[in-house]
Amino acid sequence: MYYLCVMNTEFVQNWFSQVKKGTLSYIILVILERKEYYGYELVQEIKTHTSLEVAEGTLYPLLNRLKTEGIINSKWVEQESGIPRKYYTLTGSGRATLAEMKGIWLALAAAINKIEK
Amino acid sequence: MKRIIFTNPTAQKIYDDYFARVSRGISILPATDQRELLMELNSHVYEATHRGITGNEVDILVDVLDQLGAPEMVLQPAVAYKKVQQAGRSFNPKHILQALYLNIANGAGFFIIGIIYLLILAFGSLAIIKFISPGHTGLFLQNGRLFVFGYTSNLPEGLTELLGNWFIAVVILLMGVFYFLNTLLFRLLKKK
Repeated sequence: MYYLCVMNTEFVQNWFSQVKKGTLSYIILVILERKEYYGYELVQEIKTHTSLEVAEGTLYPLLNRLKTEGIINSKWVEQESGIPRKYYTLTGSGRATLAEMKGIWLALAAAINKIEK
Repeated sequence: MKRIIFTNPTAQKIYDDYFARVSRGISILPATDQRELLMELNSHVYEATHRGITGNEVDILVDVLDQLGAPEMVLQPAVAYKKVQQAGRSFNPKHILQALYLNIANGAGFFIIGIIYLLILAFGSLAIIKFISPGHTGLFLQNGRLFVFGYTSNLPEGLTELLGNWFIAVVILLMGVFYFLNTLLFRLLKKK
């Protein structure tokens, strides 16, 4: 007897949505580790390197939250256009936090790989 | 916030309408937070619409705003989070109630806080009712057992009221205790 096995698309979509929510902060910190970015530029960088399709506006509340937590810092830089850019950088605490997160991420990936083998 | 000027009047109207919605959505926040969020989104829209792509101004703007998301949806978590912070700092019941309303989705913790707030309101009302109807309000015992703590229109034989005017002091004390517990719970939830 043969069974036709079909992927549960809804389940996968829900799971991916949770993964996106859980990893977005980590992705932002990894990107900011290299250099400072202004808001729009950071959003584009995230979109370039990941397939995360999130409403771009949701990233700003997240950035504000990271700032409140003392993980990132921001400063407004005036532009010739008269519309300033807000630049984001990692704080010292942010770098330490990211190092810890990287360790957790690697340990989790290693654990999953081990289970899959 | 410096307004972006578009050459196409339709684009200008779309832009103005979008930021009017943003302003409405965040009007509950302190002025500095409002200004910060407006400037951030404005900067994003400016950079996105002035990145050197050619085409119809309206189409470009609509595409940018579409990717940014509807203000009501996008800003709700930010507004809710900032309101919690403000409430935690100020201890102002108005801010706490607004934060509760915005964070109702955060689950049981906030539900419990809501219930305790109702209790605080009920105790406050009892203190006033005691002035209006002192004979029907208090801690009533019947045959040594608790009959009612609060207001009762039914006063059967053998009922004794224990506290007298101390009832007001007791309900105010209870209000204080519950207010303290609520603030503690609120701060715990905020730390999550």
